Amino acid sequence: MMTGKTLNIQVNARNRAYTLDGTSDDKILNLGLSNAIDLPYECGSGTCGTCKARLISGEICDRWPEAPGRKFLKPKKGEFLMCQCAAKTDSVIEVESFVHTMEAGACVPGLITGRVNSSKLLTPDVMSLQITMDQTFDFDAGQFMLVQFPEVVGFRGWSMVNYERHAKTLDFVIKKKPDGVLSEWLFGNNCEGVEVELYGPLGNATFYSRLAKNILCIAGGSGIAGIMSILSRAAQDGYFSQYSGDVFFGVRTMKDAFFLDELAAFRAECGEKLNIVIALSDEDVPASAQIDYPQLAFDNGFVHEVAGRHMEDRYQNVRAYLAGPPPLVNGSIGMLLRARVTTDNIRYDKFS
Amino acid sequence: MSKNIHICKLSDIPANGIKDFVLEGGEKVLIANFSENYYAYNGNCPHQGTCLAEGFFDGAVLTCNKHLWQWDITTGKPIGLAEAPLESYQLEIEDGEIYVRKANALKMAELFRDISTSTQDLLVKLTRREEYEVGSVLYDLGDLTDDLYILESGRVEFELGRDERTSAAGFILRKGEVFGWAALLEHQPIRIAQAVCVEKSVLLRLNGEEVVKVLATDPASGYLVMRQLATLITRHFTSSSEQ
Ligand SMILES: Cc1cc2nc3c(=O)[nH]c(=O)nc-3n(C[C@H](O)[C@H](O)[C@H](O)COP(=O)(O)OP(=O)(O)OC[C@H]3O[C@@H](n4cnc5c(N)ncnc54)[C@H](O)[C@@H]3O)c2cc1C
Ligand code: FES
Repeated sequence: MMTGKTLNIQVNARNRAYTLDGTSDDKILNLGLSNAIDLPYECGSGTCGTCKARLISGEICDRWPEAPGRKFLKPKKGEFLMCQCAAKTDSVIEVESFVHTMEAGACVPGLITGRVNSSKLLTPDVMSLQITMDQTFDFDAGQFMLVQFPEVVGFRGWSMVNYERHAKTLDFVIKKKPDGVLSEWLFGNNCEGVEVELYGPLGNATFYSRLAKNILCIAGGSGIAGIMSILSRAAQDGYFSQYSGDVFFGVRTMKDAFFLDELAAFRAECGEKLNIVIALSDEDVPASAQIDYPQLAFDNGFVHEVAGRHMEDRYQNVRAYLAGPPPLVNGSIGMLLRARVTTDNIRYDKFS
Repeated sequence: MSKNIHICKLSDIPANGIKDFVLEGGEKVLIANFSENYYAYNGNCPHQGTCLAEGFFDGAVLTCNKHLWQWDITTGKPIGLAEAPLESYQLEIEDGEIYVRKANALKMAELFRDISTSTQDLLVKLTRREEYEVGSVLYDLGDLTDDLYILESGRVEFELGRDERTSAAGFILRKGEVFGWAALLEHQPIRIAQAVCVEKSVLLRLNGEEVVKVLATDPASGYLVMRQLATLITRHFTSSSEQ
């Protein structure tokens, strides 16, 4: 662990200023969030540009000057990404939005350590990975962690698959990204026992039972991770005795599908109000699929289009959760807006 | 008054659609069509500058595709998650050609939204348009709360406290944002913060008492303004942000 020099950062937001005591090791976003100050972010990992801020005085260090999220910045105006930058000296920065403190009871993120307990290939390019943490940990269903392996620079965002209070282990599913540095490493090496750093929990695509709405989940590939966590929490609370759940899980072919046994088990446990449809984009549904998984439905097409066909006019009192590659999330958002779902009921994680 | 800028032909705008145009100087204008009517707004999202023409438009509601801020296209009024209105332009049509002109900052102010046009015009008559250099102190702690301010351009910051013990208390940067609103309140004779222009700024000033007098002649509009004022105050002083 590094121990950087202690310093002070003032964050001027539209409505007020916050003063943070931290060190030169702390990313500014993390420092704010860990102090329960709800600074703006989305990916937490340098791609989306949402955590944009402006340096007014002081000096910062950009840990990842090539971050793709920098394309949303005006560097000449002193703009930087809070999720990639740490302060080098006492600094004053400005965030162009209203910033509030987190609600009481929110899971305040922090830096923790853990170790890879087990990993398993689910398909040729998807693996599950379990991390045991050095302390128990609370998160909301649908949240994600930033995870860093010692062998690879930089944190990656992964959504939790499991859900429990005071969790000791976190389950993830990781999709192999072509030429992705960490995915190549994970799929090419035995990572069991490796010590990792984690920062979180993050994300507001969260589910809790007092929501009291029907839920609609649309996920592509590893986007199913957070949806599994949501289903897990809903099942634990008997949520589907009262509200309906519609889950659409998109994969290319049956060979790319995973978690089908687990999804079938959710349906068996939760009953008829929970409908789960597997959407195959690149092949017709093989006859064997329905025989092997009588609890699940299968359809052919892009997952948001399949969801659109199945939902038709069933959008009343719906909260939607979307997760996966950006084109899938954007396509789903367009469909939901056309169906007049209000934006406060559209929660998403773009796996950018 | 700014002059009209030619944008395009009416027929360039898709039916119930949107299209954006870049003006000289780089400003982007979004033109929207909704049945018979046309509207003009700044083409960048007031949140993070995302190009609004790439958003979703259903003929009535515009949604930015970045963080799902939404607006009513007929008024530019924020809906749902949006924290700010669209910056509007006045639009004129002559011989099938669209022209735009910058709108008066008062007409864009959320505080005066939806009030009667006659009252709005009376308020516009009360405004004094003033330009300020960087560093100008608009008012200081303890000053009398005489005027209400509307930002036309530039940027104003607020500070609480005195001398060594000051703390930043937010800032204003969007056209149409109102500050110094204590001038509209009873029993708030003294400023509790300092307001400084940190960029060259243009402001509309209105005397608070005169505003209240105009509003008293039109209670329906007055009621709306007071409601909108309450919203504005809570946004700046939510329970979590201020003791
Ligand atoms: C909210 C969210 C949740 C996600 N959940 C999941 C999930 O559950 N399962 C899943 O498979 N994928 C998930 N993703 C996507 C996942 O984070 C990326 O696919 C993964 O980062 C790819 O890593 P890579 O090393 O293989 O690819 P690379 O292309 O090598 O790296 C991609 C990412 O790694 C980070 N990075 C790379 N280099 C650096 C550097 N020098 N410094 C700092 N950071 C660096 C950046 O975040 C970058 O976007 C999620 C993404 C987000 C935003
Ligand atoms: S949150 Fe920093 S770039 Fe996405």
